[in-house]
Amino acid sequence: MNLPLFAVSIYWDLPVLLAVVSLVYAATRHDRWDKIVHEATGWGLRITLFLAGIGLVLYLLSTYL
Amino acid sequence: MASSPTNDPPLPPVKLDPLAALLSYLIPGLGQIYQGRVGKGLLFFGGLYLLFFYGMWMGQWRNVWLPDAEDLPPVAFARQELGGAPKALSYRPQFLGQFWIGAAAWPGVYQYATFDKTKDEGQFFGKFQRMPEEKELNELQRNGNKRWDLGWVYTVIAGVLNLLVIYDAFAGPMFREPTPEWLTNESESATAEAPTPATAAVPPDPPPVDTASTPPPADAPPAVPTPAVKEGGAP
Repeated sequence: MNLPLFAVSIYWDLPVLLAVVSLVYAATRHDRWDKIVHEATGWGLRITLFLAGIGLVLYLLSTYL
Repeated sequence: MASSPTNDPPLPPVKLDPLAALLSYLIPGLGQIYQGRVGKGLLFFGGLYLLFFYGMWMGQWRNVWLPDAEDLPPVAFARQELGGAPKALSYRPQFLGQFWIGAAAWPGVYQYATFDKTKDEGQFFGKFQRMPEEKELNELQRNGNKRWDLGWVYTVIAGVLNLLVIYDAFAGPMFREPTPEWLTNESESATAEAPTPATAAVPPDPPPVDTASTPPPADAPPAVPTPAVKEGGAP
């Protein structure tokens, strides 16, 4: 199976950005670690879903349009 | 304005800390470490430096700089011709975000201040954060698989995130919680300030009087019969 999405190395840099942004942003909102981790997980999931959605739409447009 | 009554514990007043903010600007998280919030400080330090230098690495260490705009076409803003650093920033606005990472972006400022176009390298930092030549820049963007562009985005995000870190050091997190020490002091002061109920001096019970044998005085009101209290509550 040859998925072009996984062949492009630029996408493998995104998890670093995603993890750092989620953790740092959550840590500026709370002082307690349980709340920081909880909020960072929420933001990480939301950003991942958003980026995955955009990526899927662009992939479908470029493949089938 | 009256605050709405809640069951939340009282919060200590916000204590602003400009020194911690300055320290967090210099090195991300240093202000938090100075305040005793070591874990958070290390998280900010590791996270933001990872993002900033990872971005620089993606851009082959050539995407953070402030250009020498002396020979570039003039730029006007609000009918005023810009010069010096504002003109340089108008040609490289990314540096406005990168600058807030603190000391890690100071070589770029130093390279800008001491830029000598007759030389290939700066006198102290070499080519680190020095304006690349146009030919080199074109090659980086043509051969970099877009990672060069994504790299400067990472460095800008790191700088802008450090603004939130600086504010956290300055005024604390957005959602504050009372410390155990504060709660203890608060409850103690509340107990001390509360009015103590006055203990009324209860007179000793009078000695029992034998009403059957003693006739009531002549000016005493007639005895009113008390109604019997019905058990069972409200009617």
